[in-house]
Amino acid sequence: MLTIKILGSGCANCKRVEQIAQKVVTDLATEAEIIKVTDYNEIMKYNILSTPGLVINEKVVSAGRVPSEAEITTFLTNALV
Amino acid sequence: MPHMLWMPWNSICPEKKDNPDMDILAFLSKLLYGGLGNLAAYLAAHVLLCLLPAFYIAGAMTALIPKETVTRFLGRNTPRFISYPAAALAGSVLAVCSCTIVPLFAGIYKKGAGLGPAITFLFFAPAANILALVYTGGVIGADLAFARLFLSLAFGIGIGLIMALIFRKDDAAHDKATDEIFAGQSRKGMPRAALAFLLILVALLLSGTLKVGLLTDTYTQFTLPVSGMDRFQDFLYNLVPYDASRGEEGVTAQGAILIGLLALIGLASWKGLEKIHEKFTAWTWIAMGLVGLTLLVASLGMSPHAGGLDILFTGKFFGVMLALLALTLLAWKGLSRDELRDWLWESWHFIKQIFPLLVVGVFAVGVIRVLIKPEWIETLAGQNSLLGNLAGVVFGVFMYFPTLVEVPIAQMFLSLGMHRGPLLAYLMADPELSLQSILITATIIGRLKAWVYVGWVALFSTLAGLIYGAWVDGASLGLVVLYLCLFLAILALVLWLVNRRNAAITAPAQ
Repeated sequence: MLTIKILGSGCANCKRVEQIAQKVVTDLATEAEIIKVTDYNEIMKYNILSTPGLVINEKVVSAGRVPSEAEITTFLTNALV
Repeated sequence: MPHMLWMPWNSICPEKKDNPDMDILAFLSKLLYGGLGNLAAYLAAHVLLCLLPAFYIAGAMTALIPKETVTRFLGRNTPRFISYPAAALAGSVLAVCSCTIVPLFAGIYKKGAGLGPAITFLFFAPAANILALVYTGGVIGADLAFARLFLSLAFGIGIGLIMALIFRKDDAAHDKATDEIFAGQSRKGMPRAALAFLLILVALLLSGTLKVGLLTDTYTQFTLPVSGMDRFQDFLYNLVPYDASRGEEGVTAQGAILIGLLALIGLASWKGLEKIHEKFTAWTWIAMGLVGLTLLVASLGMSPHAGGLDILFTGKFFGVMLALLALTLLAWKGLSRDELRDWLWESWHFIKQIFPLLVVGVFAVGVIRVLIKPEWIETLAGQNSLLGNLAGVVFGVFMYFPTLVEVPIAQMFLSLGMHRGPLLAYLMADPELSLQSILITATIIGRLKAWVYVGWVALFSTLAGLIYGAWVDGASLGLVVLYLCLFLAILALVLWLVNRRNAAITAPAQ
């Protein structure tokens, strides 16, 4: 079971990351819990400087940009192994 | 002043007082025409060669410059003479509108950068980012863009230092938070291809907008045998009537073609860039091709006459063409697919976010222009007086305009007779201070700090307007620089004295 966190205050890019992550999870037919983290203090605990951040199983895999579908697929499959 | 915009109907159309229905109808259609005319003229004349490349430059900066390269200088172990300029630089290259600035500001501040550099960042970014400067330069004039840049830089750093000093106790407590994130950041710079890409984008912008003989001269021309273009242009002038003496512009035939192309770009981008994270499609390439085509068409000179359409090949055209070729080559060979995607996405993201606001804003400016009487502006801010500058600042604070819309508003004021000094004061205050951004800032650094910041920005903006206005009025450059230096020196002296006294008080206690 994967825990995916999207860090960001609700900006357009954050929503985009969430959409793509959701799609990849569906495509991979895996089970994952997607959590949106919008509180700044909470976000800052992850040592990132700019949102959107993508965290998989408590590990920051991307920050400050929107990763592509292929990239997120790689992140998730790596985390599943 | 906002309430002054709404004046009684009959003062505008006094001759039709006898029929109130007609009166209002004619009045409304006049407003509508004002708005539409302004919008069409803007899109045709200003947007393309300056704003379109600027959006792509802003996108490239966001996507291709690693944030760590800039922000690693902001830690509190970095000496002040590096961290403050670095904060300003970070502001101008990393953020374009307040929606990007505030999260970054929160990040920088919470991660242990001093309050000072964080404030400098917050101040400098909206006023002097690439989009704002390019747009100001293109629409109002390079002099005002430079004034905006230099004064924002000086005052951003000044305000940062003052804030750090006023709240030094809080800041010391805050400093106990680690700044490991800044120290630990990797030192790898920007990939060379990305840097070259960015520089050529800037060259593209410059070759399209610089007004030097080499670029504006016509080198060769030919005549397209299309008839009717001149009648089309007359038709457009009739459709969008304009009064050059009031600073209004008409729509040319070329402008109409460009507006059409813009609409096509919008459509293709919607299809090709919206889903770019899934894959690049044919629409992506069509959108890019259209952008290139539009820039090329915009850089040509066109003059319709009865016999056909003269196409003039200007230096601009060749400059733009060369830059576009180089960009295509670099994008193909130098950038990775991920970089290319990030760049396109961020640029599209900016366009989507800012362009609609700009369209609405410019329309609104056209409407308001019909309502405002030049005499009001002239009485209030026609001279470079303290009152005029204050008026500019107050208007900037209480009227909230979305990112970049302050520029067409400023142009309207200018054409209605506002002095350039108060105009700069307004341009400095408006993007910094809006009720909305004050409230968000307050949640991050606290209400007291936020309002103190607001006070300083208001003061500094007024000063900036006065100084710049004095220069426009013919005070010699040396004198102006002297005033500026004197002011900064006094400021520095006060800061230094307070700092020393403070050190003397705290030292024995430790």
